[in-house]
Amino acid sequence: MLRSLRETPVRTDNRLLVATLVTGLVSYGYGLFRYPLYLTDEGVYMQRAWAVLREGRLSPYTYIYDHAPGGWVSIAGWSAVLPNQFEAFGNAINTGRVLMLLMHLVSVYLLYDIAKQFSGGNTAAVIATTLFNLSPLGIFYQRQVLLDNIMVPWLLLSVFLILRSDRRVTSALAGGLCFGMAVVTKENAVFFAPALAYLLYEKSRNHRSKRFAKGFWYFAGGIPIAFYLMYATLKDELLPPGLHFDSSNTQSIRVSLTNTIWWQLNRTSGSPVSGTGNGAFWQMMHDFWLWKDRFLFYAGAIATVVLLVQGLRNRRRNHVQLVAALLAISYALYMIRGSVLLEFYIIPLVPLLALNIGLVAASALARLPDAGKAGVLALAIVVLASPTGGYLLVHGDTGRLQLHDMYRLNLTSMQRAQMDWVEKNIPADARMIIDDDMWVTLHDATPAYRFAHSHYQASGDPAVGGKVFHKSWRYIDYIVMSNKMRRAMRVNNAGGQENWILDALDNHSRRIWDLKRGRVELAVYRVG
Amino acid sequence: MTTAVFGLLALVSVLLSIQAAYTLYMTIYTWDEPEAERLARAPDRMAPPRLTFTVMLPARHEEEVIQQTIRQVVRANYPPELLQVLVICSADDEGTVEEALHRIGLFQDEGLDIVDVVLFDDKPINKPHGLNHALRFARGDVVTIFDAEDDMHPDVFNIVNTVMVNEGVRVVQAGVQLMDYQSSWYSALNVLEYFFWFKSRLHYHAKYGSIPLGGNTVFFDRELLLDLGGWDEDNLTEDADIGLRISMMGEKVRVIYDDRYVTREETPPTLQHFIKQRTRWSQGFMQTLQKGTWKQMPTRAQRWLAFYTLAFPNVQALLGLYVPASLIMTFTVKAPVPLALVSYLPVLLLAAHFMINVVGLYEFADAHGLPASPVMIFKMAVAWFPYQWVLAYAALRAFNRQVRGVSNWEKTAHVGMHRNAQGEALVGAT
Repeated sequence: MLRSLRETPVRTDNRLLVATLVTGLVSYGYGLFRYPLYLTDEGVYMQRAWAVLREGRLSPYTYIYDHAPGGWVSIAGWSAVLPNQFEAFGNAINTGRVLMLLMHLVSVYLLYDIAKQFSGGNTAAVIATTLFNLSPLGIFYQRQVLLDNIMVPWLLLSVFLILRSDRRVTSALAGGLCFGMAVVTKENAVFFAPALAYLLYEKSRNHRSKRFAKGFWYFAGGIPIAFYLMYATLKDELLPPGLHFDSSNTQSIRVSLTNTIWWQLNRTSGSPVSGTGNGAFWQMMHDFWLWKDRFLFYAGAIATVVLLVQGLRNRRRNHVQLVAALLAISYALYMIRGSVLLEFYIIPLVPLLALNIGLVAASALARLPDAGKAGVLALAIVVLASPTGGYLLVHGDTGRLQLHDMYRLNLTSMQRAQMDWVEKNIPADARMIIDDDMWVTLHDATPAYRFAHSHYQASGDPAVGGKVFHKSWRYIDYIVMSNKMRRAMRVNNAGGQENWILDALDNHSRRIWDLKRGRVELAVYRVG
Repeated sequence: MTTAVFGLLALVSVLLSIQAAYTLYMTIYTWDEPEAERLARAPDRMAPPRLTFTVMLPARHEEEVIQQTIRQVVRANYPPELLQVLVICSADDEGTVEEALHRIGLFQDEGLDIVDVVLFDDKPINKPHGLNHALRFARGDVVTIFDAEDDMHPDVFNIVNTVMVNEGVRVVQAGVQLMDYQSSWYSALNVLEYFFWFKSRLHYHAKYGSIPLGGNTVFFDRELLLDLGGWDEDNLTEDADIGLRISMMGEKVRVIYDDRYVTREETPPTLQHFIKQRTRWSQGFMQTLQKGTWKQMPTRAQRWLAFYTLAFPNVQALLGLYVPASLIMTFTVKAPVPLALVSYLPVLLLAAHFMINVVGLYEFADAHGLPASPVMIFKMAVAWFPYQWVLAYAALRAFNRQVRGVSNWEKTAHVGMHRNAQGEALVGAT
């Protein structure tokens, strides 16, 4: 049984905390710029951060309220203070990835404290943070510049502060503010609200300042959201014209925040790596997540059920177990029943499953002496690091023992070679169809490639497709193909909007550069 | 020109937000700081009565309530032989004097000869002058003041005796609370102002050694008062002034606000009286600011807090002008979006202020066993802006009087709304 929060908290073992932080720094930092491939979404968020810093806007194109801007405004803030700004670490996405590394380290610190507070000991904290640091699933997605990776530390910070709300009202206020920041960084955070509210309720239940703690938490949580709504109102983009909600979200007349929310709730998949509803969740579990880290899912699911049962059996006494279980379950339910799912939406579940495993494992190990605990944990780490666990060592295609791809492969070198080639061989005034991953590199260059636009923008934004390219191959000079870009164009072509680009590619172009290694294929085409 | 206007708007918004956040923090300070909450509570165990008290009851045209007030003091849970009660009146106030003498006669019939009427016939006819006059007749170790309409708690002397004896402090401010929160459209907001001021904010002031004291239920070591030379007779808020002078000396002030032991008061009976009271307070703060005693405080933190508190009526007067100006700008000036967002910061803090009042209403009602309901919240919401405008108007009025050199005392009428016909506390037992 876990110790109650009401009991005297134990001291943090600083040596263990430092060891977990160093582990996180190494596991996330080693190979950060090399693996995985730069993703379109990473490019999009860096592009928007670029617009915030360089143009004082939320997007270089029409901002359609597809996501709240907290994430890329944070990236812009990060880039602003760096020497060479977006190019501080070689290119924009690398610069963003360093921020993700810092976000991870902040999350490790917070997760350590939360697990320690929940369990009343350091064992759960060490287990949770070790899993969080080493999970291949976590490392794969959390190295990428994604909004979820910025949302997670806000979420954990909110929990961290709520756990202190029985001492200070201002902690509850700050906890609410952090939760609001999490929501305006990635709206999915809203699904954690019931579990957080319940934690706050339990923490402040017997406290003299409970009314203020609760009042401030809700109020402060609303502040960032209110500013987001206020932004849309000031731009006259809160409601659609004539209150006509358009579920296709073409928004040809005027964009609006509420219409986008309406569309998000009703939309079906439009991405090659997304899906909708129950089926998509299990499909992604099979295609993307499970093979990256079976242990986290199986052990995490069991631990969550154990905590849920413990919590439900005695809600007052075991409320921390209930909260830990609810955090994971509420988000998992959102993913299972949600309207649209992308593979990296799994990110917030990684620290939560790690937390639950840590809590249950620590409880199971509670009766062992420290040396025994250390022995069991060391054995567990060896098993997880071995090919059986697959966290560090795996068998390669030839059966040879090798380091996991994420520490070994340099996938992005190909993308960097492509960028270098483009910058050296294509004039800056060329009209180019590209993928978003190289957008900032080209637009922040001197001179800037002002007519380089992603195929998503060229096909979807009338201001780009119509005015720059006149929706004709004759107005395209080059097409820079990223990995799997052709497939993305096909999937994005439900209304035929990519036809003119595909026509240029298939019928009016010639390949002038390419690079192929394994399943990664990059190319540049000259059109006309 | 436009850039300058926008820059000014951003600056004013940010400054207003900072000051509002600071005020809000002081408003909830006791709820945030466990140590402040511990200090605010009355002692659990009372020390044996040791100190003698001189209770000053300044009264002007209080014939309706003075008898009841005298009776409450004399019947307090403290040995009468350790009490001296001085009813302070100007010689022309025959009605009040007559009522007081009648009550004194009744006590003398019981063999209790601890109450006297102290008359003064010189100018100015105001509270500090009366207090200074009566100080010459005070014999107690401790001098305290109650207003004629106050419902003091019978254990207040025991509490102060305990704190002064156990902690060796020489000044104690105990809680004062308006109670009639449903008597007029503005009463709930007025009641909450007292609630937050005495329960929270004064503790913050006490901690940082820069405290404007209240006008009653305040207890001074008599020697300290004599050393200070009594109250400033030219000051409309002589209570705040003496508090800052005491702080300047480095004297520790203890604040106690325990819901069970507060002195109960009433809100001003009419809007006109309310405005007059507020005008007096605002002008008194302006006078104290101008007087500049606060500049001699030893630490920068003390000086800043005193300056901030005393200058607040000026800020409130400015706000009275800023609000219509900002409304005009909302409709006439198309500001860039980031600037417009910054300009909403003070609005957000205003909303936070209202939220605190909503919670405060429930806290107040809970502490005194009174009802609170969403309907009351709704009424409070409706009254919110008019109340702020009234405060701003009173501050502007005070500013105008101050500039014109008018500084006469506009007395607040008391009709005993918080007492019933039998003279008992209307909103009674907790």
